[in-house]
Amino acid sequence: MAENLVNLDDLGMTEEELFQTQSHDNVESEKITAPRYSYWRSVFRVFFKRKLNIVILVLLLVIIIFAYIYPSFSGFDRYANIMDSSTKHLTPAAAIKLYGFNIHNILGRGGSGESTFDSMWDGARISISLALICAAINMTIGVLIGAVWGFSKKVDMVMMEVYNIVGNVPYILVISVLVLIFSPSFWTMVFAMTVTGWLAIAYFIRTQVIIIRDREYNLASKCLGTSTVKIALKNILPFMTSVIVTLLASEIPSYISSEVFLSYIGMGMSEITLGKLIFKAEGAMLTPGWQFEFWSPVAIASIITIVLYVAGQSLGDASDPRTHM
Amino acid sequence: MVKYLFKRLLRGLISVLIVVAIVMILIYSLMNRDLVFSMDTVLSKQNNNAKVTYKYAQWERFGYLDYVPYADYINELFEDGEIDAETRDNVVKFGRKAKNDSDVVAEYVAKFTEYYESRGYEVIRLDAVMQGKKKVANGGQQALFATKDKTLLNRLGTYFKNLVSVDNIHYVDEDLDIGKRGLTFTWRDPAYGGEKFSPAIMGNGTKYKYLVYFDSKFPFFHQNLITINLGVSYSVNMGVDVFDTMTKSQGSYVQRDVVYPSGVEEFSADDLHSATYMKDSREANSLNKKYYVDDYTNVITFKNGRSKLGYSFILGIISSALAYFIGVPVGIVMARRKDKLFDHIGTVYIVFIIAVPSLAYIFLVKAIGYGIGLPTVFDLESQSKLMYLLPIVSLSLPSIASLMRWLRRYMIDQMNSDYVKFARSGGLSENEIFTKHILKNAIIPIVHGIPGTILFAMTGAIITERVYVVPGAGNLLTKAINAYDNSVIVGVVLFYAILSVISVILGDILMSIVDPRISFTSKAR
Repeated sequence: MAENLVNLDDLGMTEEELFQTQSHDNVESEKITAPRYSYWRSVFRVFFKRKLNIVILVLLLVIIIFAYIYPSFSGFDRYANIMDSSTKHLTPAAAIKLYGFNIHNILGRGGSGESTFDSMWDGARISISLALICAAINMTIGVLIGAVWGFSKKVDMVMMEVYNIVGNVPYILVISVLVLIFSPSFWTMVFAMTVTGWLAIAYFIRTQVIIIRDREYNLASKCLGTSTVKIALKNILPFMTSVIVTLLASEIPSYISSEVFLSYIGMGMSEITLGKLIFKAEGAMLTPGWQFEFWSPVAIASIITIVLYVAGQSLGDASDPRTHM
Repeated sequence: MVKYLFKRLLRGLISVLIVVAIVMILIYSLMNRDLVFSMDTVLSKQNNNAKVTYKYAQWERFGYLDYVPYADYINELFEDGEIDAETRDNVVKFGRKAKNDSDVVAEYVAKFTEYYESRGYEVIRLDAVMQGKKKVANGGQQALFATKDKTLLNRLGTYFKNLVSVDNIHYVDEDLDIGKRGLTFTWRDPAYGGEKFSPAIMGNGTKYKYLVYFDSKFPFFHQNLITINLGVSYSVNMGVDVFDTMTKSQGSYVQRDVVYPSGVEEFSADDLHSATYMKDSREANSLNKKYYVDDYTNVITFKNGRSKLGYSFILGIISSALAYFIGVPVGIVMARRKDKLFDHIGTVYIVFIIAVPSLAYIFLVKAIGYGIGLPTVFDLESQSKLMYLLPIVSLSLPSIASLMRWLRRYMIDQMNSDYVKFARSGGLSENEIFTKHILKNAIIPIVHGIPGTILFAMTGAIITERVYVVPGAGNLLTKAINAYDNSVIVGVVLFYAILSVISVILGDILMSIVDPRISFTSKAR
C-alpha cells in the first residue's frame, strides 16, 4: 500500500485547500445549528419579492387614504345642494363646466346635487369599516371555537348538529329580524352579520384541524408526552397561519359583497354605504347621462374587494413556510 | 344502507323541525307584532275600540294568538243548543260599561270570563268611548273578548298537523245534502266532453271534484288527493297558500272551448279540473247555476305563463347545466396546464367572480346585453326565448367559476399521488392519466353537489330575478320579510330546509354510486 501514498507537497496546494486537524470539543459537538430563520421576516421577504404585490399594496394605501382621510378634508355634505335643481344629475363634463375643474367634479353630480366622487368615498368608508370589524370578530370567534371543535370529539358531535340546523336558517331572515328588532344602525348590522357568521369559519377551521391533528408528527409528539395545548400552539397553529390568512382574504371582501346585496334587497342599514348608493342609483344605470352615479360605486366596490382579496391571497401564499425556500 | 339512510332522513327531519321552531321564535316572539300593520291601510281608518279589536282579529289571522269575541261565545252556546234564540238575542248585547249590564247579561259575561280565564285566556273588556252624553264615538262601541297568545309548541303542532292533508269524502259538512258521497272512476273525463279517452277519479263530498286526472300539461298526470299547506299568505298573495303561490301558473288568460257540466259550451279560461266545493255557490250566483250541476264551482283559470317555481327552475337548471358543461372541461384544462397562460387567465376570472360583488357583474352583464340589443327585462307576454339568455348567463357565471376553482384544486391535489406516478411510469399517456384516473377521483366531491344544484335551482336567485324582473320564487322570502307575511316566511323556510336535507342525502347516495369505496354501512368496510 505504501507506493499509493502521495506526498502533499507534490500537489502544490496552499494550506487552506488541504484538510486540517481540528481539536475535538465534547460540548461544541452537541450543538445543532441551522441558518438563522425568522418566520415573519421570511413572509415579508417572499411577499415583497413579487412586483404585483407592491402595486396592490400601493392601491390599498390609496384606497385607505381616500376612504378614511379624504372625507375629513372634502367637507362633504350630501344635502348641501338639495334645494338647487340645477346641480342635480350632472355628467362630469357638465359639472366641470359649472364648477370648474377640481377633484369633486370628476365623476359628475348625483340625484341630490352631491358630488358623486365624494359620496362614493363616504360610502366606501362605512362599507370597509363594516367589513373589517365583522371580519375581526368572526375570525376571532370562529378560529377559537373551530380549534376546540376540531380537537374534541364530544364538542364535534354537538356542534355538527348546531351547524346543520343554523345552516338551514336563511341568513337574510336572521339579519332582517335583528334589524327590525333593533334599529337599522351600523352596530346592529355588525351584530347581525356576526351572530351566525362565525359558524361557517369555525366549521372550516374544524375541518383543517382534523386533517392536521391526526398526522404522524402530532401522534409522535403526543407519544413523547407533549400537552394538548402545546400541540395546538406549537404544532398546529404554525400550519394554520397561511390557511387563516387565506380565509381572511376571502372573508373581508365577502362582507362588502353581502352588505351590497342586503342594501340592494332593501334590508341594509340607515347609513349611506356603497350598497345603498348602488340601490339608490339603480334607475340611473340605463338613463343617458346619469350612468356615472351608478357605475362609480359599483366600480369602487369591485376595486376595493379585488385589491383586498389579492393582497390577502398573496399574504396567505407568503405565509406558507413551504414558499420560504 | 337503507337503515342508515332512514336514520339520516329522520335526523334531517328533526333538524328541519328545529329550524322551523327557531324561525317561529324569530318572527313571532322576537319581532314587534305591531310591525305587521306597517303596510296595512285599513288600520289607520279605524278608531278607538274598533282599532283594538281590529288589531286582535288581524293578529289571529297572522297566527299570533287566539281571539274569541263575546258574541262568538254566545253563538257557540246557541249552536250547541245550550241556550235558545231568545236568550241569545237578549244576552249578546252587553252594556256600555260593566255596571250597565242587565242581570242576565252579567251572568253570561261572568260565565264567559270564568270559562276562558280557567283556560289561561286574558279577558279584556273595553268600555264604550262616548262623544257627548248619548252618542258613541266613531268606532267607540264597547268590546269584550278573550285572548291568549299561542305557545311555540302549540303553533308548531298545529303547523305540522295541517302540513299535509288528504282529501276525503267527508270534507263537505256532513249535514248538507249533496247527494251520494263517494268516489267514481271514469275512463272518459267529462271535462273533455265525455268522449275523449282520459281516465279520471272524481269525488262527491270531497274538496276537489277531480282527484286524479290527465291533461296535456307536463307532467300530464295530476292529482288533487294530497295537498300540501305550507301556510296561507296574508299580504304577499292574499289568502293563497304558499305552495300554491309557488306552483300556480302566472300570466294572462288562455281561453279555449270548455264544456261545462251542465252541457253549456263556451269559450273560456276556466280549468274545470281545479273545481273545488263552495257552499251554496249555485244559489248565490246565477252564472254558476247556468254552468254547473253541483256546488263544485270554484275554478281557477288557465294562464299562459309558468309558475314561480317553474321559471326559477328553468333558469336554474339551464344555467347549472351550462356551468357543468363549461366549468368541468375548463377546470381540467387549467389543472393540466398549471402555471401556463391558460391557467393564469382562468385564475383571473375566478378572482374576479369571487371578489367582485355579484350585484356588480350581474349589472355588467345586463349593461352589455342592453348594448347588443338583448331584452333586459322578463316579459310574460313575450314569446321570445331571448329573454332567458341574460338571466341564465348571469346565473352561470359564478357557478362556472366555483366549479373551475374546485375541480382545478382537487385535480392538482391528486396529481402528486402515488397512483399517478405509477400510471406514468407504467407508460400511460397524459391524456389517459387525466381523463381515466385523476378525473375519476377528483370529480367525486363535485358529484356530491349535483343533487343540491338541481333541487336548489327551484328556489331561484334573489338578485338575478330582481334585476331582470323574473317572476320567480327567489324573491318570495325577501318579499315576505318586507311585508311581514309570517306564514309565507315559515313556509318558504320549511321548503328550503327540506330541500337541503334531501339534497345532502341524495348527494351521499350518488357519491357512493360513483365511488364504490365509499360505503355508509360499517359492515362493508
